Amino acid sequence: MNVLIHDLIAYAPQILAGLENTLLLAAIVSLTGFCGGIVVFSLTLSRSRLCRSITEGYISFFIGTPLLVHLFLMYYGLPELGLRISPLAAAAVGFTLNISAYNARHLMTAYRGLDRMELEAARAAGFTEPETFRLIVLPQALRLAVPALTNQATQNLKDTSVAFLIQYKEFFSQVQEVAATNFEFFRAYLFTGLVYLALVALIVVAARRLERRIALPGFSA
Amino acid sequence: MPLIECENLVKQFDGKPVLRGIDLVLNEGQVKVIMGPSGCGKSTLLRCLNLLDPPTSGRILFRGEDITRPGVDVRRLRQSIGFVFQHFALYRHLTVQENVTLGLRKIRKMGSRMAREKAVCELERVGMYEHRDKYPAQLSGGQKQRAAIVRALAMDPAVLFLDEPTSSLDPEMSREVVSVINKLFLDNVTMFCVTHDAFLAKYISDSVVFLDGGAVLAEDVAERLFYDHPDPRIRQFFLGVIDMR
Amino acid sequence: MSFWDILAVLAAGAGITLLLSVACMAAALAVGLAVALLSRSRWAPVQRLLVGFTFVFRGIPVLVLLFLVFFGLPGLGLRVPPFLSLVLTLGLVSGAYLAEIFRGAMNAVNREEVLAAEAAGMTRAQGFTYILLPQMFRFSIPGMINEFTAILKYTPFAYTVGIPEIMKRAMSLTPVILRGLEVYLAVGIVYYLIYKACVVIFSALEKRFRIPGLSAQER
Repeated sequence: MNVLIHDLIAYAPQILAGLENTLLLAAIVSLTGFCGGIVVFSLTLSRSRLCRSITEGYISFFIGTPLLVHLFLMYYGLPELGLRISPLAAAAVGFTLNISAYNARHLMTAYRGLDRMELEAARAAGFTEPETFRLIVLPQALRLAVPALTNQATQNLKDTSVAFLIQYKEFFSQVQEVAATNFEFFRAYLFTGLVYLALVALIVVAARRLERRIALPGFSA
Repeated sequence: MPLIECENLVKQFDGKPVLRGIDLVLNEGQVKVIMGPSGCGKSTLLRCLNLLDPPTSGRILFRGEDITRPGVDVRRLRQSIGFVFQHFALYRHLTVQENVTLGLRKIRKMGSRMAREKAVCELERVGMYEHRDKYPAQLSGGQKQRAAIVRALAMDPAVLFLDEPTSSLDPEMSREVVSVINKLFLDNVTMFCVTHDAFLAKYISDSVVFLDGGAVLAEDVAERLFYDHPDPRIRQFFLGVIDMR
Repeated sequence: MSFWDILAVLAAGAGITLLLSVACMAAALAVGLAVALLSRSRWAPVQRLLVGFTFVFRGIPVLVLLFLVFFGLPGLGLRVPPFLSLVLTLGLVSGAYLAEIFRGAMNAVNREEVLAAEAAGMTRAQGFTYILLPQMFRFSIPGMINEFTAILKYTPFAYTVGIPEIMKRAMSLTPVILRGLEVYLAVGIVYYLIYKACVVIFSALEKRFRIPGLSAQER
């Protein structure tokens, strides 16, 4: 144990840089995935049948295939199209495509739980389609989807550990490098796990706060 | 001959008395209806008698045997008491026929063919044969309660306990169930029935027990209790119940 | 090497992917059921233990747990073979999620039906087996489909511990033919087909055994 603690202190800058990279990636893709999810969700409500089926095909494919495939496609695939990108960029694009699909599905589920009459009323009141979406559909769907969306954020944080497989220098990979110098693998992975648990606990607490703050009387998920 | 006797039966929930010393006798072939205002302990009484809620003190004799002393075979006792619930409590994942055969097969250890034959016979008795392959969700309220009664009867119990059998039904379905219970009454099935329903009480009972505040206030035949009892509290109660009909 | 050839190479690994998935699903089912059943106990230490269990295995990344089991445990003198490592990892993680699904489903079962079974003379164990369990399973179906497909999507991690499944084959193919885009697109297609097949089969089973008034949508 002492060896590991000693090494953790000795390699602290490297490990902290890894942690920073993990948080950076998680923050970026949670944000882009959130926005992407809203865009994709809005496309599923499009008037055009072609647009709807393409969108649904996209969602289905990205939910039906492993995250690792999306990351490898970006990391090994894009350079062949002449796009040379960094591991961070590859990870960001792969994750965004993946998370947007999941978030869009969360919003679709919430949308199905909405009161149809209210939407009819909005249209009858003379709101245009985009206005109805922006003022009525989206706020309510988002509110209903809060638990699913915050779960997704936790999932995103945990999933960033996969990015080390495409050479992104995130937290997990940095702890492993330290472990490779002293062969304390078990303790290193245990340490990694504990750090993730602490981060997840933080997100869960924040999510509870958010849920309480935006709760409306008589309106719950 | 007395089937069930209870002596000074007391039931408390967290020290709060619900039954305060009940003395009752139910003879074989007799039908007794228990009535009284909400919260008077009617349903608790039924649940105590088949030990779903063990009594706090007092004695219950079933065919002369004290069933409140330790070491009594509770499951055997319950097999002799059919129980019909207010909200039917049909097993939602089983068809009507399977609802009836499950107990026969698993409790009475009958073979599945014999259980099926027995179920069919009992279902015909209350006009539920044509609905035997339906699931509870596909039945009307009255059909559900009839199915629940068949399920209890098929076990050949010595007595049938009915806990508010018509309270969650609308008047028309309620009549349908009353006529089934009335038929059992005429067949001399021993019954203990808790209800709010004066109509049901009148058509199926040998006598009515009036329960208030966890104690027996009066016991008499329905007509006398309903229309000219000296106690003003009882008159008041039945005035309300019967006028509502 | 044509795209079809690539697909053929990958498809040869699909058998192992499927085998892995099924083994992990079975493990997850066992863990999930055990945890859900134990959580019915009113004993406080058990409750706390289960809360901890659920938090840990829902909070730890699958890849980290897999490495802990496969590369970490040998440091304690415990060597876990690759296949078993993945089954253990996903069994615990998905089991923790399934336990939550089962718990929710158990709360959806009408207590009075179980009471009715006991009032008729069934033992607690019989009421549990014949009434509670069958209904709980029906309410859990959508959640189970979700969790099982999640397992399928985690199986490519198996390549990191050297199991020759789809992803491992893809990785050994890429440096040979140097066409990553096509290879990983093909990997995506193979996984997507398996995913779709799973969803279709599970939904067909659900429909086949659906009972009016008891499907999760009507809950």
